[in-house]
Amino acid sequence: MQILTKNWDKIDPFHIDTYARSGGYEALRKVIREMTPESVVKEIKISGLQGRGGAGCPTALKWESAAKTKAQDKYFICNLDESEPGVYKDRTIAEKSPHQIIEGMIIGAYAIGAKKGFIYINGHYEKSAEILTVAIKQALEKEFLGKGIMGSSFDFEIEIFRGSGAYICGEETALINTIEGKRGEPRLKPPYPVNSGLFGKPTVVNNTETLVNIPFIISRGAKIFSGIGMKNSPGTKLFLLEGAVKSKGIFEAPLGTSVQELIYNSIYGGGLEEGKEFWFAQIGGASGRLMTAGNLDQLLVYGPAEYPLGCGSILVVDKSMDLKDFLVSWSGFFHRESCGKCVPCREGTFRLHEIAKRIRNNDLLPDDQERLEDILWTLGNTTFCPLGNFAATAWKDAIRIFGDKIFKAA
Amino acid sequence: MQIKINNKSYDCNPDETILSVCKKNGIRVPTLCTHPDLLPSEGACRMCLVETNQAKCLVSSCTTKVCEGLEVITESEKTNKARTINLELLWADHAGKCAKCKRNGNCELQRLAKEFNIDEFRFVPRRGEPALPDEIDLIKDNWSHVVVDEENPSISRDSEYCIECRRCVKVCRDIQTVEAYGFNHRSSKSNVGTPYEKPLDCIFCGQCSMVCPTAAITEKDDTEKLEQALADPKKMVIAQTAPSTRFTFSEEFGQNPGTFWEKQLVATLKELGCDKVFDTVLGADLTIMEEANELIERIKKGGPFPMFTSCCPSWVLYIEKYYPEFIPNLSTCKSPQQMLSSLIKTYYAEKEKFDPENIVNLSIMPCTSKKYEAQRKEMDASGQKDTDIVLTVRELARLVRERKILPSYLKEKKYDPALGISTGAGVLFAASGGVMEAALRTAVERITGQELAKLDFEIVRGEAGIRCAGIDIDGLNLKVAVVHEIRNAKKILEEIKQGKSEYHFVEVMACPNGCIGGGGQPLPADQEIRNARIKGVLSRDKGMSLRKSHDNPVIKKLYKEFLEKPGSEKAEKLLHTKYTNRKK
Repeated sequence: MQILTKNWDKIDPFHIDTYARSGGYEALRKVIREMTPESVVKEIKISGLQGRGGAGCPTALKWESAAKTKAQDKYFICNLDESEPGVYKDRTIAEKSPHQIIEGMIIGAYAIGAKKGFIYINGHYEKSAEILTVAIKQALEKEFLGKGIMGSSFDFEIEIFRGSGAYICGEETALINTIEGKRGEPRLKPPYPVNSGLFGKPTVVNNTETLVNIPFIISRGAKIFSGIGMKNSPGTKLFLLEGAVKSKGIFEAPLGTSVQELIYNSIYGGGLEEGKEFWFAQIGGASGRLMTAGNLDQLLVYGPAEYPLGCGSILVVDKSMDLKDFLVSWSGFFHRESCGKCVPCREGTFRLHEIAKRIRNNDLLPDDQERLEDILWTLGNTTFCPLGNFAATAWKDAIRIFGDKIFKAA
Repeated sequence: MQIKINNKSYDCNPDETILSVCKKNGIRVPTLCTHPDLLPSEGACRMCLVETNQAKCLVSSCTTKVCEGLEVITESEKTNKARTINLELLWADHAGKCAKCKRNGNCELQRLAKEFNIDEFRFVPRRGEPALPDEIDLIKDNWSHVVVDEENPSISRDSEYCIECRRCVKVCRDIQTVEAYGFNHRSSKSNVGTPYEKPLDCIFCGQCSMVCPTAAITEKDDTEKLEQALADPKKMVIAQTAPSTRFTFSEEFGQNPGTFWEKQLVATLKELGCDKVFDTVLGADLTIMEEANELIERIKKGGPFPMFTSCCPSWVLYIEKYYPEFIPNLSTCKSPQQMLSSLIKTYYAEKEKFDPENIVNLSIMPCTSKKYEAQRKEMDASGQKDTDIVLTVRELARLVRERKILPSYLKEKKYDPALGISTGAGVLFAASGGVMEAALRTAVERITGQELAKLDFEIVRGEAGIRCAGIDIDGLNLKVAVVHEIRNAKKILEEIKQGKSEYHFVEVMACPNGCIGGGGQPLPADQEIRNARIKGVLSRDKGMSLRKSHDNPVIKKLYKEFLEKPGSEKAEKLLHTKYTNRKK
């Protein structure tokens, strides 16, 4: 089943006509001609679509709250600030099917009553920004954007906002802060953005991958969508296979596919590279948990799960790798990307990285193990936003599974 | 609404935070980033974490609002663990130089470290001198960004002591609207600083030093200058004390806020070795004479209105930097400190036949900005720098403690009478609304020619940020306003710009509640403490026999012997000043 990738390599991202010819903007036409904002929200609600950014919050919940909050101005933001290490699904969507994002945004804006939208693009994504700029211009020319969209009274414009490549700015309130010209730091919630977001107005922030589902749900119907994947986690998902797996890259698979299948099925990863032996897999980027061979039958779904699928990346690690390099890489990433607002994250990620370097260099100080446990505990339990928890997740698993290897001087 | 804290029920309002309910009921929850003047809190320090029945994880009590059925545990193994680890992390990021620190004994971080038994570095210290040679490599790696800013006359900054609580950022942005501070860099390198780490460019009000929990932001220390002057046998050190200092100096020595310690203050200064101690309140009385005269002149001439008071150097600098179009509205009167200083080096020196070059004018102020004011180029009416050394109350107290002087054991002393007689009107300068009230006492009597039946102008007293009143003077409806904190002054300025208000006379003080909330006052300070100080001020005014500036016998003598009359040529030269457009 192809929802997200159906246009990939079939259309020319620089030409709106090629997207239109493959059924593009039909969903928007249907929405404008036949549907009320309420019925759009209802349709998305029935579809059961969940946010693809990582947390898996039901999309309709955000739209409904924003639609219900009364305000003159509302904003609709597409989050393309993808910055999880090794994850490039949103970038690929933007480069291969940009109008699918724009169409999803226009429908979302229509549903909540927003007149202005932003695509928040990771500062490193030059090509995505270029393609989307052209796409917006073409959509304007075709009157899919601008004043009186497709002859209706609905106005909507999209502005591209370039982030500066900070990981924390993928968090929706930090993202909003930076559009306002403030420091990229998460805000206190509540109030939630859907009630008081950008410039204090109701704002929906949706992940790019979430939005490209919208045209499909509208054209084919929520029922068909909800029949794909799992009952509580419908639809398909882009999975990124990387590391020691034979075929690497982005694969679209229904939610509820097991890690085993993704790694070993020939239509996905096709097993491990020649001569390599599976050690563990990390699910969902640097903030993801580590999965060992015995747990590969776990199904990847949104909602409560032992192994949250996050942004959908699966890093396959084989036994030739050195765990110490991973420790330094994880802690280095979160240390660099902590915003510095709260004590446990600002100081804790620094200390974590400090100890990681000592582990790598085999010069652990006495009591480092105890210190490490305390740092991971405070990161996991006391930080202002979830970044602290993310920094601790993989480490906790690594210590639980491979504790001896870490602390025994090699 | 009721919630349970530590298994006991407490009343609360639905929009309160857990921390505020705890505080109201005397349940202590440690915090470093929350300050009562700067609510709501941002939840950055993670010290106030508590357990609740609403969430599996710990929540920060400063940001979490109460809700129906809420049960809170403020002390548990888990909260204790969280606070200890986070404090240990902070401690290793802190200077660790308590013994020689200005805030030793009055530092919020030190107090918590003591409470949680943190007496050694559990993590490799990121700041401070390496103790052992083999530590150097470790520390080199950990060295964090240290900014020391010594390029301004009022405020010392040393980021080695900073714990990134952001209170200074908040007070400067939200209360004073100056936004001199921000947060620079990110992750473990993040640091409170100025844009591009340039020297501090602000109005020097020092409110940042009032809210700083550690010694990262403090008053510029000028005690050494005083020690040098005291040690020089050729120099004659003449001290003056600001109106508010007699109500706050006592706090530094364990007295309750608002305790009146005038004679102890004089005795302390004499004990330190000051040759004469005069009273800035006399300067305040003189300011009133000149300012009331200026107001009456403006009424006669029809403007420019409103006339703004000019005793607060931060306010004056704010106008010069941000609203220079209002410079003609500022009263040309110098502040009481500068008036008295120039008189000491002219009138008093002539009279006593002292060489003004050998006089060192020392002023004890509630204010960091007075240090800046003393350095202004035009403050040289006596032919040299009028005020030589300005010490804040905190610096004086520190010096007194270093010298092992115990003020409460000293024999009480009075001001030297030559320039040491004062009135209740001048004393009122200590609090917001005081200049207005003192000016009205003189101006109304001067305009009507009749004695006021009631001296108290309650209408201009109080806590509100902007207080307006219309005073009827023989048919003239004098519209006045009293404003404190720059955010409120900015509101008034904008209103005036839009033609929405028609005041004749506006008093502005940059600090909360005026000088008793000044940037050089004892720590800690919050609304409750400032209210107690105000109470002390008002009751002192009430108890004085002389309560109007123009009744002050020394003032009468000064005009008779030296200044002729308010606004005379001599008065213009010595007691008035001009301002500069400093907008960038």
